[in-house]
Amino acid sequence: MTGIPLNIDWQQILLHLFNFTILFGALYILLYKPVRDFMAKRTAYYADMDSRAADALKEAESNRDAYDEKVRSFDEEIRAEKAKMNKEISDQRDHQLAQAKTDAEKIISDAKAEAEREKDEIIASAQKEIAGMVTDAMEKLTLEQSASDAFDQFLDAAEEK
Amino acid sequence: MTKQERRKAALIFAVIALVFMLGAILAGGSSGEEETIQQVMRDAVLHDINKVSLFGLEVNPGLMAGVIVSGILIVFALICRIFFIPKFTMVPGKFQLVLETVVGLFDNMAKGNSKINGFLGAYIFAAGSYIFTGTLFELFGVQAVTTEGLSISLPAPLSDINGAIMMGCLSYLVIMSGGIAGNGVKGIGKTLKEYSLPISLSFRLFGALLSGALVTELVYYYSSLSYVVPVLVGVLFTLLHALIQAYVLTMLTSLFYGQVSDNTPKPPKEKKRRKDKKIINKAETAQSEETAAA
Repeated sequence: MTGIPLNIDWQQILLHLFNFTILFGALYILLYKPVRDFMAKRTAYYADMDSRAADALKEAESNRDAYDEKVRSFDEEIRAEKAKMNKEISDQRDHQLAQAKTDAEKIISDAKAEAEREKDEIIASAQKEIAGMVTDAMEKLTLEQSASDAFDQFLDAAEEK
Repeated sequence: MTKQERRKAALIFAVIALVFMLGAILAGGSSGEEETIQQVMRDAVLHDINKVSLFGLEVNPGLMAGVIVSGILIVFALICRIFFIPKFTMVPGKFQLVLETVVGLFDNMAKGNSKINGFLGAYIFAAGSYIFTGTLFELFGVQAVTTEGLSISLPAPLSDINGAIMMGCLSYLVIMSGGIAGNGVKGIGKTLKEYSLPISLSFRLFGALLSGALVTELVYYYSSLSYVVPVLVGVLFTLLHALIQAYVLTMLTSLFYGQVSDNTPKPPKEKKRRKDKKIINKAETAQSEETAAA
């Protein structure tokens, strides 16, 4: 190919092209594609691992939230239970106080009634005793009078006889 | 290794180097300089004297170098595919890391520049590997026999103008394919706007690699320059421009590919926006006047 500057030769350009095309194909099939595929595979592997870790993290976070929620609800429950217990204790105390008050009142009223009864009994027995004593005294007096009268009568009768 | 042993090894190395140097100096008178430096350099540019035979075809040495480089790369790829890639692990070893870094470099370059990047990544990987290995190939001074029976060392494949034109034009076609993939027929127009691209890509490569080849030829031509200097010129410069040229061509290709394959609609021009703003302002004024009148 004379006339072309720098001895440019179309045939040799095509031969260079042919050579490079074969090189391109071979490098693509033998080196570029397998290595790139492997890199993509590894990227996918780590992305998968990453997503799994993210999922696990999400799950752990949700578990922690649930746990926190549970703890919160337990706290609430404990607070409610405590309040309930306090109320129950308070009610019981009030009830017991009321009961104690009632008992005390009953005891007092019973005691009063007993005292009254005992007083009445004592008074009655005293009266009885006094009556007895009076009766005895009267009897005694009466007997004493009647004995002397009887004696006198006897004596009178005897004298008459 | 003890200090004494190290000193002994260094002495042996120095003696061997001295022997080689003396041998070279003594043999310097009849170094077989059958061509003058002018001829050598002219041939490096024009490739009109030394031709080699490739399967019966008389071709430039650059083409033969290209074939050898391709062969080396293919064998390397084959070895990697058979022995190393099946043993790849999730946590890479040293060699796996090197391969992944190289593939990842070009893949990311393609992804960073274009949305349609499957083919682009593969192309710039092949082109980058070819340019880099081809340029380094020059370092080894692989010998070939010309059709005239002379011994020459094979140059970098892309220091041959035909190789550089092939690479530049192919890159341009790849860019055009990106334009078509991204924008259809409009993409061809977009690519054709960059009509100087194949020439600039080709001659940039050719110029860079040829200059390297010329400097190397010059240095190796004179035996007095063949000590110490080649360490800098031969190794460092070659290594450096192998890297630079591989990076430049792949970067330019992916940049233009991304540019022509981009199909995102352009934002409206400033003038039009100003016009729109004016209309909006007018409408607002009219509305406020109406409100005031009411």
